[in-house]
Amino acid sequence: MMATGASRFDLARFGAEVFRPSPRQCDVMIVAGTISKKMEPAVKTLYDQMPEPKWVIAMGNCAISGGPFVFEGQYGIVEGADKFLPVDIYIPGCPPRPEALIEGILELEEKVTGFRRWPRVEAK
Amino acid sequence: MNGLLQQDVNQETFVLNLGPQHPATHGVLRVKLVMDGEYIVEAEPVLGYIHRMHEKMGENRTWAQFLPNCGRMDYLSALSYNHGYVAAVERAAGIEVPERAEYLRVITVELNRISSHLLWFGAFVLDLGGFTPLLYAFDDREQILDLLESVTGSRLTYCYFRFGGVYNDIDDSFITGTREFIKRLRKRLPMYDALVTKNIILIKRLKDIGPISRDMCRRYGATGPVARGSGINFDVRKHEPYSVYSEFDFDIPVYEEGDSMARYMVRMDEMEQSMRIIEQALDKLPEGEIQPKKAVKLIKPEKGDYYHAVEAARGSFGVRIVSDGSNSAYRLKLRSPTYSNLSLFGEASRGMLLPDALALMGSLDLVIPEIDR
Amino acid sequence: MLLRKIKEALNSLYEDVQEAPEVPEAAAVEPAPETETAPPAEEAKTEEGGPEQAEEAAAETPEEPAAPPGPKETDYRTKGYHLDVDLPPEKVVAAAEILNRENFFIEAVTGVDWIDDQQLEVVYDFNHFAELCRVVVRSRVDRSNPEIPTISHIYQGANWHERETHDFFGIKFTGHPNLEPLLLPEDADFHPLLKDFKA
Repeated sequence: MMATGASRFDLARFGAEVFRPSPRQCDVMIVAGTISKKMEPAVKTLYDQMPEPKWVIAMGNCAISGGPFVFEGQYGIVEGADKFLPVDIYIPGCPPRPEALIEGILELEEKVTGFRRWPRVEAK
Repeated sequence: MNGLLQQDVNQETFVLNLGPQHPATHGVLRVKLVMDGEYIVEAEPVLGYIHRMHEKMGENRTWAQFLPNCGRMDYLSALSYNHGYVAAVERAAGIEVPERAEYLRVITVELNRISSHLLWFGAFVLDLGGFTPLLYAFDDREQILDLLESVTGSRLTYCYFRFGGVYNDIDDSFITGTREFIKRLRKRLPMYDALVTKNIILIKRLKDIGPISRDMCRRYGATGPVARGSGINFDVRKHEPYSVYSEFDFDIPVYEEGDSMARYMVRMDEMEQSMRIIEQALDKLPEGEIQPKKAVKLIKPEKGDYYHAVEAARGSFGVRIVSDGSNSAYRLKLRSPTYSNLSLFGEASRGMLLPDALALMGSLDLVIPEIDR
Repeated sequence: MLLRKIKEALNSLYEDVQEAPEVPEAAAVEPAPETETAPPAEEAKTEEGGPEQAEEAAAETPEEPAAPPGPKETDYRTKGYHLDVDLPPEKVVAAAEILNRENFFIEAVTGVDWIDDQQLEVVYDFNHFAELCRVVVRSRVDRSNPEIPTISHIYQGANWHERETHDFFGIKFTGHPNLEPLLLPEDADFHPLLKDFKA
């Protein structure tokens, strides 16, 4: 995510560079990384603090479904952000490439506005 | 500490929570602060918000299945963690590593160390309020990530080492690319030096801030640039040489002052030393195999416990393996350097202003998933 | 050399059990006072290994008695550490004090669950900044009531290591100022790294 905001994969081109520390001023929450059981109430609190309309992006395999840390007898993580949050966009990868994050944000833009800024790249 | 938190309301101090979600904590770290105005009376870091059970997985996974975990502990210098685990298992099982593979390991680990320090540099100055060096540092870092991606296949969480060697060989484009990169970085580092290190604002924010004495380092077990910034000449690569580090000629930067500026200078100098090691390694790179001739099929170390330490970007990373002769570890202990480095934050930040404490925390170079494992 | 010096210094901790008589008749007479000086059921096995093996050897044939208890030098190349010190729990603080005097730094404190022996082992790793000398101090405690004195007043870094070991194994470090969960949630009452832990 840091690399996506930096020079090469500039996220500011799409108007999405402004990462704010406070949830009160945000529209989109990107849940990146593994959610541990200790952290889950904090993430829920942050989600509740965001004003409507709000969207959630689940970034990375761990936020989608627990990722590589799901094993028999696991005691510490929540298997996916959608267990307790309504997720709009899933970005797979471990870790997702910056291009994947950009694609995810553009998908969200399409979901919100109905208009896709860049043509979708189709495999031939 | 708890006594201070349960105090009556007539006291002047208040409790502030530097919550798990905060831009300056480099991950999900929570610090409970008891403040007297702007001064910190007590600070207690609270961990566990990204505890991902690596040590339990060490018992549930076979030796080889644990390899992807190594890259995810400290994702910024993942190759050192790969190296620590693989070297510990090789010591336990008695596996020999061919020379070319050792050289490739050293080259990639040192490149990873430079990229980790570049990210630390950008993020640290960002914490102090300077937004621009981050973009320049990331530009350099992208070059390294391209080089490493062409060899290992991943940008960040590498899983490149195998027991007995590495899994992919390098080609000429990697060698020329690395030499180009070193030339380029050698031109950029003086620019960072002139614009950032000699910047009067940075000097005033870092000089004499957060002094850590040698005895404090010893009692807490702090290693890496934190110890080297306090005058302790300790680097696992020279103290306890492993792999082929004894064949290279490099210095260990040590600064005596023990403040945040010293730790900053140690890391900037380490980047130059890593470049020296890479150049020497590229010159001396031997031909040969990258995996042992007798393919390593089944790893079954003898019963007993083994320890191996490597120098990660943040300090001495140790792996303790207790084996019972089966194909998975009986107990795998990962001694993470930042865990010990952060434990001195409680004592070191007493009486400091809050922004200075954040500068101290930035100079300790924290990566929280490594602490919580 | 540092290794020799620290080995001799730590050897002094074994003085009360090193009178383990190698002579067979004395072994038959003395096992009672031996077990009285060392606390029952909670000490390392090597302590009793000396006199017991001498006893058995005396019973069968006059063989070479077992090595006397004390710090053992290990092969650094294969094991990664230089000195292996096996102690009963109440001597661990004295060992930490000796190592602190010699300016060792603490690397890690961890635990191992030996469920077959019904014991938990606490392992301390120490190293030295100036000269490479890794000392491993071990101590076994009973699994049903694991208690061991803390060393966090000598080595403050052990504070967090002991909290983590308590989280994972349930070992109580008596005298620890703040034995709350560190990595697990604050209200956790399970100890995940025990071998019989079920999520």
